[in-house]
Amino acid sequence: MEFGFTTAAYVVSAVLFILSLGGLSGQESAKRAVWYGIAGMALAVFATLIGPGSGLWLLSLILIAAGGFIGWQVANKVEMTEMPQLVAAMHSLVGLAAVFVGFVAHVEMGRVAGMDDTAKKALEGFAALIAKKDGVEIAILKVEVFLGVFIGAVTFTGSVIAYLKLAGKVTSKAEKLPGGHALNAGAAVLSVICLFWYMGNGGLLPLALMTAAALFIGYHLIMGIGGADMPVVVSMLNSYSGWAAAAIGFSLGNDLLIVVGALVGSSGAILSYIMCKAMNRSFVSVILGGFGGTTGPAMEVEGEQVAIDADGVAQSLEEADSIVIIPGYGMAVAQAQQNVAELTRRLRAKGKEVRFAIHPVAGRLPGHMNVLLAEAKVPYDIVMEMDEINDDFPETDVAIVIGSNDIVNPAAQEDPNSPIAGMPVLECWKAKQVFVSKRGQGTGYSGIENPLFFKDNTRMFYGDAKASLDDLLTKIS
Amino acid sequence: MGHSCDDLSNLRQMPHLRAKIFRLHGEIRDKIHRNPIIDPQSGTIFDDLSKNETLLAPTCCETILRSGSVPKIIVWGLLGTGPDMGFAIANIIEEGTGHVKIGAPKEIFEGEARVAMTPDSAVQLQKLGYDCVIETGAGAAAGFDDAAYEAAGVEVVKTGAALYKAADIVAKVRQPEAVELKRLTSDKTLISFFNPAANDAGMEAAKASGANVIAMEMVPRISRAQKMDALSSMANIAGYRAVIEAGNNFGRFFTGQITAAGKVPPAKVLVVGAGVAGLAAIGTATSLGAITYAFDVRPEVAEQVESMGAEFVFLDFEEEQQDGAATGGYASVSSPEFREAQLAKFRELAPEVDIVITTALIPNREAPELWTEDMVAAMKPGSVVVDLAAEKGGNCKLTVADEKIVTENGVTIIGYTDFPSRMAAQASTLYATNIRHMMTDLTPEKDGQINHDMEDDVIRGATVTFEGEITFPPPPPKVAAIAAQKPKEAPKELTPEEKRAEEVAAFKKQTKTQVGLIAIGGALLLAVGTVAPASFMQHFIVFVLSVFIGFQVIWGVAHSLHTPLMAVTNAISSIIILGALMQIGSGSFLVILLSAISVFMTGINIFGGFMVTRRMLAMFQKS
Repeated sequence: MEFGFTTAAYVVSAVLFILSLGGLSGQESAKRAVWYGIAGMALAVFATLIGPGSGLWLLSLILIAAGGFIGWQVANKVEMTEMPQLVAAMHSLVGLAAVFVGFVAHVEMGRVAGMDDTAKKALEGFAALIAKKDGVEIAILKVEVFLGVFIGAVTFTGSVIAYLKLAGKVTSKAEKLPGGHALNAGAAVLSVICLFWYMGNGGLLPLALMTAAALFIGYHLIMGIGGADMPVVVSMLNSYSGWAAAAIGFSLGNDLLIVVGALVGSSGAILSYIMCKAMNRSFVSVILGGFGGTTGPAMEVEGEQVAIDADGVAQSLEEADSIVIIPGYGMAVAQAQQNVAELTRRLRAKGKEVRFAIHPVAGRLPGHMNVLLAEAKVPYDIVMEMDEINDDFPETDVAIVIGSNDIVNPAAQEDPNSPIAGMPVLECWKAKQVFVSKRGQGTGYSGIENPLFFKDNTRMFYGDAKASLDDLLTKIS
Repeated sequence: MGHSCDDLSNLRQMPHLRAKIFRLHGEIRDKIHRNPIIDPQSGTIFDDLSKNETLLAPTCCETILRSGSVPKIIVWGLLGTGPDMGFAIANIIEEGTGHVKIGAPKEIFEGEARVAMTPDSAVQLQKLGYDCVIETGAGAAAGFDDAAYEAAGVEVVKTGAALYKAADIVAKVRQPEAVELKRLTSDKTLISFFNPAANDAGMEAAKASGANVIAMEMVPRISRAQKMDALSSMANIAGYRAVIEAGNNFGRFFTGQITAAGKVPPAKVLVVGAGVAGLAAIGTATSLGAITYAFDVRPEVAEQVESMGAEFVFLDFEEEQQDGAATGGYASVSSPEFREAQLAKFRELAPEVDIVITTALIPNREAPELWTEDMVAAMKPGSVVVDLAAEKGGNCKLTVADEKIVTENGVTIIGYTDFPSRMAAQASTLYATNIRHMMTDLTPEKDGQINHDMEDDVIRGATVTFEGEITFPPPPPKVAAIAAQKPKEAPKELTPEEKRAEEVAAFKKQTKTQVGLIAIGGALLLAVGTVAPASFMQHFIVFVLSVFIGFQVIWGVAHSLHTPLMAVTNAISSIIILGALMQIGSGSFLVILLSAISVFMTGINIFGGFMVTRRMLAMFQKS
């Protein structure tokens, strides 16, 4: 088929992809947007299959169908609480694919370089593309391949570790090998050396060595980041998978790959930025792991935690007119979203105003809470962002905190020495009464005491979130 | 006070020693666990009592020898192991039991039925590591007999003098009298109501003795100290009891009823002063079914009053609001104009109400007169006035302290000053708990050793004499009782010029950053362009533009859709499949294999990513 057709198809796909991302600005338009994405992808694959430079299209189709079947099954079965793991796992596939494509490009480069001019003319497909390149272009190609493989490898192991952490298969604590960031820096320096080495002789060894180093960086970097920073990690890996695709696009001279890679890359970067801003931490400090040292002793917490039982909560809810629920990762862990939704339905049926306040970093994935609540059929127009609802707390009768801790910590505003000082938080303590559903008296991810639990208007509703809410639902008809 | 081995059979019958043995049993268990004992004869190692259960079953160690106040235990009847074993354990016990004793004497004030220690609180005090001792009959009036104390492991002594001798810490209820203060010595601590503001003689006597005195009414009103606020627990009882006494002297129902025999109107109750006692009275009166009104000079308590079910009586009076926070939550003196408005309101209410309960007290002053003689005269016959301020002269001038009188127009005025004592069992329980919490704060290590920490706000505030010095009045506490109402800061109004200037400055700043970024970006592009070949630059331009579009588009994505965004970007990042598809047709087997795996993996991703996005988006519903 003509080269022109493929290019035209690519342009249409690129536009469809942009529309697809742009459509996510609203819940209703998003439903249409996902179809734009699907159409774009179908068109791109179709155009490539029949376009120049491809072969074995039957095998390709079979493989896509087989992969698609598995993907379909997984996507249909996955629990919404497991979304973070799924997203991380899928990132690892993109990363690995980028590594493979990069290696193939390397192999092809070597093969073409060894040919004489007549043989080169006879080449088809990707090899033909390489054959046309002159010296400088080959050098640039090498850098591109090198970068694509590097980013792909980091994305791969990073995503695998993120997946294991999110699925609870390895500890979600920040763990580092002895040597810490020096090891990462060493691996990065090694990669740079390999780049020059590779530019010099074009052998497989420097490429393989660099791949090993990159795999290590991905592993070690993500192992060193703790549970609640996962939203940043996942969006960062999302960004990386995009940049890897873009780098591969450069090496293959494919504009669609570049466009989409850049879109995905910038999307992930923006998400990371939003998450970091919501925690008032710099991207670097999140990636380098852990909260920094405090500048002074933490403020003394006065008072004691007062517990309450389901009867007390039910009574207060009966009397309240406006209620705000603040869900956190604890709700996802306890799988309590259905109970929360049922509680919401019953309270709304009594004519009470029930709303949800979502902190940008609640959960383990950007927007995690929204998806869980949507799954439980909580209408999205009562689910508010932090900035929308923070001013309403003083007029709120009851705020219910379910499985969140640091995002409702008043120390962020009151204690300049707190490690989370300056982080924007949900000011739920301004509500007339606050109930905190919490497993026990432990501290949150950051390990800092939460003065909210000691406030006079706070009552602690101890127990597993799901069990507590079950109990509560029996008291509210 | 010593028992020899011959007393064994008697000892076994003494309940307080029995209880003690059980407690020691626990101690022995912990100690053996830490330092195992080896029996010199059999070589058996004892380190786990649950394993060597027979060794120290309570019946086995019932033998207690007392030498002085330090108990020694000898394990008796050790199932075949030698006496050395017993001494080994005896030594362990001896190390750890130089126990400090807390004692509660019988109250000597006429008619006082309360007691500062109950069997329950004694058990808790023992957990803090103290031994407890009580004067015989101290709890009898409150319903706790000596046997109950002995069962809780409390030693009972015969006389007050003996108690003061035995106890290192004396806890009592009423302000101590001269004869009691004489018994104090420099190594003792007294915890009691003390009324330090009007008890100079008492403080001098305490100072002369060198004892440390903690006055329960001086416990600061901060949240941390609520659990030892005896004034509040006593006031709560007084408020409840006031309503009960009123009901006892009131000839009608509280609640309104419509019966076959006719209609009964509900009683109307007015509570003046909504402190702890007032609120308790309100709660009791409303739960009995009366229509309850309440008044207080602090308008901020209206909410509390209403939450208890009463109607707050508002005055038509404009005055700068009294901020209760400035006076530690207590009422202070009001202006004459305010007082007039208040009395006028009461006069208006007097003919209507059946029961009036006055609780108005101002710290360290005579009670204000609120219910005047003409108001009493205006009341219906059979009405009742309960004056909880009788001790300080009464809120009604007709009140006679400690007595009940009936006026000429048939109004009963009750001036008892011993309401808490009239509910001695309840009052003792609460007071003993307050004392126990005070001891908990005084014993931070739970080691049975008092740590009189004068740096602690609560302890410092309540201590009136310490090591031969009078420490009353205390400095103001570091933590304010109630957060002061902060004056609201009006947001600074900007003049139009200032606003304009601000906008211009912001605009300039934005322009600067944007131009700066464009310049840097442009320079970088140019730098790349000078070295890179044209074919690269074509792709590079596409790349830069795409990043730019990406940034513009993604900022518009709703926060709630971030997870679908990640899923969809994940799906479309599988566009890398194009690379694999282009390569699969060319070259060697290795190339085909690697490409095939890539195609397969990205296939999973494309379908999985789009499917899961669709699933998620379908869930978002509008209400």
